[in-house]
This record gives sequence, C-alpha cells and structure tokens, in this order.
Amino acid sequence: MNESSVLVIESDPIVRESLSGWLSSTGFEVTSAEDGEKIVKVFAKSDFNIVIMDVRLHSETQLATLREMKAIRPWIKTIIIAAHPQEETVLEAKKIGVVDYIVKPVDMDDLQRIIQGSVESIYKDNVNITDDNTSFESSGDELVPGIKKSFAISREYLSLMVENLLRETEVIGVKAKQGKYIYDRIHGFYELSLDYDVTVSPPTRYMFPAKETLLKFKTGNGNHVEPVIESTPRVIIGVHPYDIKAIELLDDVFMNHNPDPNYIARRENTIIIGVDCLHPSPRSFAPSMGTNWTETGFDLLLTDIGNSYIVKIGTEKGAELLAKHTKYRLPTGDEIVRQKKVRGEALNRYKVALDTPKDRIPKILEESYDDPYWENRSATCLSCGSCIMVCPTCYCFDVKDEMALNLTEGERFRRWDGCMLVDFAKVASGENFRKDKASRFRHRMFRKGKYILERYGKVGCVGCGRCSSACLAGIASPLEAFNSLAENIRLKEAATSVIQPAKQAMDIYTPEMAEILSVRQLTEKEKVFELKLKSGKKLGHYPGQFVTVSIMGTGEAPLSISSSPLRGKNFQLAVRSMGDLTSALHSVEAGATVGIRGPFGNGFPLETLEGRDLLLIAGGIGLFPLRSLIQYVMDRRYDYGKVSLLYGCRTPAERVFTDELDFWQNSKDIDFHETVDLQSEGWTGNVGVITNLIDKVEIDPKKTMVAVVGPPIMYKFVIEKLKKRDLPDAHVFLSLERKMKCGVGKCGHCQINGIYTCQEGPVFSLTQLRSLREAVL
Amino acid sequence: MKPKVAFFDFTGCEGCQLDALNLDAEDLIDLLNGVDIVDFREVMTERSDNYDIAFVEGSITTEGEIERIKKIREQAKIVVALGACACIGGVNCLKNHVPMEEALRIVYGKDAKYYNTIPARPADAVIKVDHYVRGCPPSTAELVKVIKALLMNKKPDIPSYPVCVECKMAGNICVYEKGQTCLGPVTRAGCNAICITSGRYCWGCRGLVDEPNIQSQKDILNKYGLTAEQVIEKFKIYDTCSEVLK
Repeated sequence: MNESSVLVIESDPIVRESLSGWLSSTGFEVTSAEDGEKIVKVFAKSDFNIVIMDVRLHSETQLATLREMKAIRPWIKTIIIAAHPQEETVLEAKKIGVVDYIVKPVDMDDLQRIIQGSVESIYKDNVNITDDNTSFESSGDELVPGIKKSFAISREYLSLMVENLLRETEVIGVKAKQGKYIYDRIHGFYELSLDYDVTVSPPTRYMFPAKETLLKFKTGNGNHVEPVIESTPRVIIGVHPYDIKAIELLDDVFMNHNPDPNYIARRENTIIIGVDCLHPSPRSFAPSMGTNWTETGFDLLLTDIGNSYIVKIGTEKGAELLAKHTKYRLPTGDEIVRQKKVRGEALNRYKVALDTPKDRIPKILEESYDDPYWENRSATCLSCGSCIMVCPTCYCFDVKDEMALNLTEGERFRRWDGCMLVDFAKVASGENFRKDKASRFRHRMFRKGKYILERYGKVGCVGCGRCSSACLAGIASPLEAFNSLAENIRLKEAATSVIQPAKQAMDIYTPEMAEILSVRQLTEKEKVFELKLKSGKKLGHYPGQFVTVSIMGTGEAPLSISSSPLRGKNFQLAVRSMGDLTSALHSVEAGATVGIRGPFGNGFPLETLEGRDLLLIAGGIGLFPLRSLIQYVMDRRYDYGKVSLLYGCRTPAERVFTDELDFWQNSKDIDFHETVDLQSEGWTGNVGVITNLIDKVEIDPKKTMVAVVGPPIMYKFVIEKLKKRDLPDAHVFLSLERKMKCGVGKCGHCQINGIYTCQEGPVFSLTQLRSLREAVL
Repeated sequence: MKPKVAFFDFTGCEGCQLDALNLDAEDLIDLLNGVDIVDFREVMTERSDNYDIAFVEGSITTEGEIERIKKIREQAKIVVALGACACIGGVNCLKNHVPMEEALRIVYGKDAKYYNTIPARPADAVIKVDHYVRGCPPSTAELVKVIKALLMNKKPDIPSYPVCVECKMAGNICVYEKGQTCLGPVTRAGCNAICITSGRYCWGCRGLVDEPNIQSQKDILNKYGLTAEQVIEKFKIYDTCSEVLK
C-alpha cells in the first residue's frame, strides 16, 4: 500500500515540513496544508487515506473540520498531534473517529508504528465492513453509499487480474456471439465484453446446470447407490446486478431450505465478479424490481467509469483475489463522482418500467386470479418453454433414471423442467392439474410476482427482460402482465418472510435402502408391500405422510404410507399399478430391495383430531393413505370420541383390504359403512355414491373432525354434503394428489398456487384449500 | 428369454437402419446380450418370422406395403416406428401434393405405367404403433434409449415439449433472433436441438408436440416475413403438420 496518500495539517511550518519530508522518504504521497480553512478545497480535489492533524487547545473549528472530512471520506484514518492534549478534546476526537493521538514533540518511531497500523486497518476495514441494505432505487442522491469498501483499478490492472486468474482457474465471462452476448469460458481478457446489455441465457446454469447426475447406482444384489456431487472451481466475471439478485434467490432456495448438496458444492466453488449494468437491454425493467444495483451477492463488483473501474469488495474471497492478482488503489474524488454520474446515466437508459410500485404486484395478482387476461393473453402461447428456460429465477426440475445398455448400472439425473410445459403437472394416472395454457401462463406470472416473494422474501422476477426477448409470441414479459393487471386494484403492502441463515447440506436425493418383507395381492391391480429400512431404523412417519420409492433404473415415485407408525418398525405401502415405477414395483417379490426417501409432507393434524369425534371418508384407493390414520386411531381408540368410517369404491371387485373391511364391519369401536357405485353379482351391500353414506351417520358438527381421501371428483360432492351437515371448513381435512418428484419443495411440480404439496401438504384443511384457487373444489 | 428383434424397411432411404448400426462395439455387445436380432436385411442373411419386437422403417407408399406391415403387426408383440418416414410420413409425403399419376410420371417417365403408388403415409396410419424412434435420422442414442425402456418395461423418456426447451438448455441464440425461421417451437424435442446447435434451424423432422399451437406458429412465421405459401413449404418438408396443410 505504498500508494497510500497522507494529508498533513500543521500550522507550525517547521514541524509541517519535517513531518512531510520524513513521510515522503518512507514512500507516502504527501500533501500538506496550513489549516482547516483550505483543507476542504484540497479535499474535494484529491484523495487521502490518512490525515495527520495538529490540534490546538479547545479548537472547535478544527474538530468541525475533522467531522467534515469524515463525512466526505468516511474511510480516512485520522491521527491527531497535540502539544497539550485535553481529555475532552481527545474524547471528542475519538467520537469523530480519530484512530490515535500523539503528544508533541513527535516521536518518529511512534508515528511510524501508528501509521503502519492505520494502513493495515484500511485494508481490513474494506474487507469486513458490512453495509446495511442501503438501496439505490429511491433517489439519485444515494447512488454512492458504502463507498468505504470501494477501490479503483485501471483497465490494465483488471486485465492483469483476469490473466492471472486464467492461470489458476476456470474463468467464465460474458462475450459477444452473433450480435448477442453469452456466458462462456474465456481464455483471455480480450474476449470479455463487460459493457454488454444482457446475455441470452443467465449465469445461473453454472450453479444449477440444465442436466446433472444426482446418483449413480448398480442394480441387482445390494443395490449400490452413491450420490454424485460435481463442481469445478470457477470465477464468473461480468454478472449484472439483476442476475446477482437471481443467484441470491437460488441460494436461498437451495442452501437454506432442505440444503441441496449439488447446488451448494457448485456455489461454494464459484466466485462472482459482478459488473454494473450501464447499457441495459431495451426490455429490461430492473429498476422497477429494485435489482439494477446490488450491495450483496458478489465477491467483487465493478463499475466501468472510463479508463478505470471502481471495484467494490463484497467478500473476503473477493478481497484476497484482488490482493493476490493485481494492483488497486483508493478511488480519487473525481472517480467517485464519475461512478455516480455513469450510474445516473444508466438509470436514464431504461426504456420500460412498472406503472405501479413493485410491492403492489402480489396484491394485483391476487385480485386478478379470475381475470380474462390470462385466457386472452395466452391464446398465442406455444408452450415452448423458452421463457422459463432463459429465466434466471426459474429453478424447477424433473428427475429421471437412465440405465446403461448393460441394464445393471445407471444414473439418476435431474433436468430443467418448468410450469409452462404441457406435462409439468401431469401424474401417472393421466390427470393433468394444469392442463390449459391459461392456467400455466397464470401460474408462471404468479410465481414471478407473488409465490416466490411470499415464500422467500425475494423478488421472483428480476426484470432482466430475457423472457420477453425469447418469447416468439410476445406474451412472456411479467412487466406487461403486471402493468396490464395493475389498473383498478387498490394498494396494499406485500408481506415478506424472514430469511434463515444457510444450513448444512443434507443428502436429500439419496434414497435409503429398504427391504420388501412381504407382498400381498389386494385386487387385480393393487398390492400391499411391507417394508423395513435396512438401517434398522424406524421410518418415523405420521399418518398421512408419504415416501418416495425408488427402483434404480426405473425411477422414483411418491407413495403414501398405508400403515400406522404405532405398529412396529415395518411400514406398509399399498400400491396400484399405474405408471412405470408402480408397475415395476408390482413385479418385484419379497426379499427385493427398493430405495426410500422421506417421510415427506405434513400428515393428518393429530393434535387437532385428538379427543374429537371422527368421520373418516375414503374413496377407492384413498383408503391407502387413510388406513394409516384408521389404524392409528384404532390403536389409540381411547383418545377419540365416536369414530365413523365411510368407504366407497367403483365395483365390489375393487374393494381393497377386504379382511379389514370385514373386521371394521364387526367392530364395536368403529361405525363402518360402505358402498359400491356399480352393482355386481354376489354383492348384497349398499349401491350408490359415497355421499349417500354420510346420511347414515350422526354428526355433531361442533365435536366432529373429518378426514377425506379420494379422487378429486369425490371431494366436490363430499364437501357439498358436509356443508349441508353444518360442518365448519376448519374441521374438514383432505389429502390431495399432485405430481411430485423431489419431495423437498424444490422441483416445482406439486405446487398448488404458492403452496408446495410435498411440504405444506398433502393434507390440507378445507379452510386452507378455499384460499388455494388451483385446488379446485 | 431374450426378446427377438427384427428390422423391416418400407419406403425410405434406409439411413435409419444404417444409423442403428452405428453403435460402438461395447454397446453392440451389451445390446446383443439383451436381445436376439433375428431379421435385419442390411446386416444379415438369416431371416425369421418369429419375433417379439419389430422396428419398421420408411413410410407406406404401396398397397403391397399395407399388407406387409399388417402381417408384421399380427406377428409382433411390440411395433416401433423407426425414423421420420415411419413416424410421421417424412419427405415421401411431398409427393402427396401432386396427383399420383403425375408423381409416377415425374419419377419414372415413360415407364410410369409399370408402377403403382398411393399417397405416402406413416406406419400408424395403417397399424397401431407402440413406440416411436423419431428423427431424420434418429440418433443411435435414442434408439438405444427406446430399446432399454422396452427391456425394462417402462415408458421411454421422450419429451413431450418442443425443441425450444433443449435449444435453450444448450444456450443457443434463437434462430429467429438471427432473422431466420425455425420449426423448433412446435417440434417434439429429444434431439438436443442438434441442428440449431450446429448453426442450422429446425426442419421439424421429429414431428409435432402433443399440443402444438399451429395457428400461433403460423402467425409467427408470417411476422418474420414468410408468406402463407412459404409457411406451408416450411411445414411440408417432413409433412410435420398434415393438419397445417388441411
């Protein structure tokens, strides 16, 4: 730091000159001044990091000068020299931020020690000081807060840094290609285009690639499964603030909630050198989303101010990198003014903006759920997925198995997927929970403007404008949607949640092996499997929760647990053969090994049910999940009031767990009724829809809690019937089916509006469901 | 018991079969560990009428081919259409835009009277097809993927979404952004957008996605300067959208 410059303020010409001479000889750049009056002028023109000032007795003027200097350059280190130091003067000086004082006559050794200490602390301060979240968005006057972390670096020295980095690591940078800009590996500083507008696809792919292996496995004996976590150390240079904001969102999604080992490994191996966006794309509306500047999320952040860059240090990693690879200095006053100027000019270059404050967006969307806008605007949607594939805040994915041709080994990989694609919410039975263009279009806009914000407290759209460029039909820009819907909607503040600090990564994608102890055929299409974790541990589930079952090579599917947690270490899964996984499961025999992840989801609200009368209603294979609750209740029968169970299925041949049905029929502990939709020979029981059975049960609406599991169509009619019996919504609980892949609230398939079924569900109270429009009751 | 596999060709260039053979040695051995190939005219002289899985290549362009493919359907447990001609009709369907007599005259001149032809059609216009290996030609990897799925009795992982998804995954600059046009938005993915990645555009050889928005695609092509006739020409090459032409 021999570039450090010192300002000496001393009225005694002899002391002033000897001190200046000595400092110059030790390598400092020295400016000297006689007294405070002239200082401010000197100060505006040049920059200093150390000020040595002579303070006389009771000198209010001098302390005022000190204050003024500190205000302009908060980072300066001031040392005062006093002939007769007064305690109060010293105290006051300390308050202003003076680092030390020396008593005249000056001992040069002392001074050298103090100056050395100050020089070292300048470096440290620049690394460690964390700014409060000052936002740039409101006014031009606040464009340069937190300057204390900033340095200046010439273009040549930036080039030197990049060239040095290239010698030791992979460097990804923004470069020009066919009239556009892309992120790609660079091999020299000359390849970089740091004055770009926007890249075709965002840098998030370096943390969350389009396709990545999660597990490698061998089938057959032992079913060997091993997680795959790959990451390469790399530096990404040229990331715009809006993309940095997007990465901060992904950090929150993948590092704080069910920490994702694959993402974390990559993220921790990545250094981000941001650059201010001074020539925004004509489609960008980053200022409207508050993402055109950032104070966090980078290791270093550059602002191009002409021949040099202002470089702001974000992290210790960034500081080390700067110190190790290049030379930098403190910015001059002129440079700081220029940074302010170029940022101001950039702000004027944005062509489009929100017509409404961004905080209003959630409310606007909420009130526009049924607006004809969705239907009309999505008419030309190609469902091509371009918008979501170029979006820096989209992170949904699909999980698949791929076997090698020898069919004995393979891998489980994840691949980008997204809610605009036709099959995104389609389950094995063929039901598609978002089958029309309008509902998919709406869901995406809700994610961008509401759901993500509510879940993570961060904007779900950073206003980069990429989707708007990528959409051939010209309908993808959230800006247009938000602006179009904004009219006639009242202002209300959006609620945001609090972000938790990062947690330790967990092995969330690796299944635990479980042995199938027995298999029993229930009907032609249904079997029940009894399993035990090979670790010997108990599954530890609650009634109504589910697990994902893996057959390596075939894939993974969510299956509800059919047995009560009170019945030993084993657990049961009753399964209808429907998709790839379930049909494969049907072909395995006792002794086979499958993978289990979970239990996932919330399960039935046991505390709410306790002490109440229960009305349990199961339609078809809805009995599979409900059985876990029935067993649980039977095992703790004394904890509940009257218990009624209604069961209906299509035909007598489709009745499952017939032995248990008989048992319940004859049990005094439970009031059991059943029916079939279609009569067939030999059936002497009820015929008709399940709602008829509700009439057979006495219900005290105040005391009764209801749990219902069945096909979606059944819910509609059961709910109507329960309404007629005066059951409050808060007393009715339903378990919903949705497509599920990850089970840990990330892949996005199971979302019902802003809720993840695998996390907050699958059991919902009717009160909750009434507020979830996509639940369709 | 290894499933017996047979390959049959109808009207086409036979490039798909050639490509099917393009496996590296190790994969070929693995493949032959999993299946018995009992009929494959391009590589072997033995023939057998006893097979479980039939791969059919080429489109159906004569009455005789109709009879032949129906017999194959009766024999095989699983029929897989191999390549664009078998899956969607392919380039052969270009002749469907002229009267058949005219087509015969253009191809065979004065010998036209010795030949017979019917409008070209994909295999599934004649028989039920269980699986499709798409593309012109299909990638060997996709063929292998389908075979593996059949051996494991699971659905092959063939995307239902369009080429745009894989094109964006590849990080490509959109063909339209370069001022050209492309059928990627309505064409079924699975090719990893190989043509666009190599600097071309999508011709639609893999056929349409399940729910194509044809009207929107046409409007876009118009917007990017194609006349109605040019739009039809664009869709015609692989007969990607018979519906479009209606």
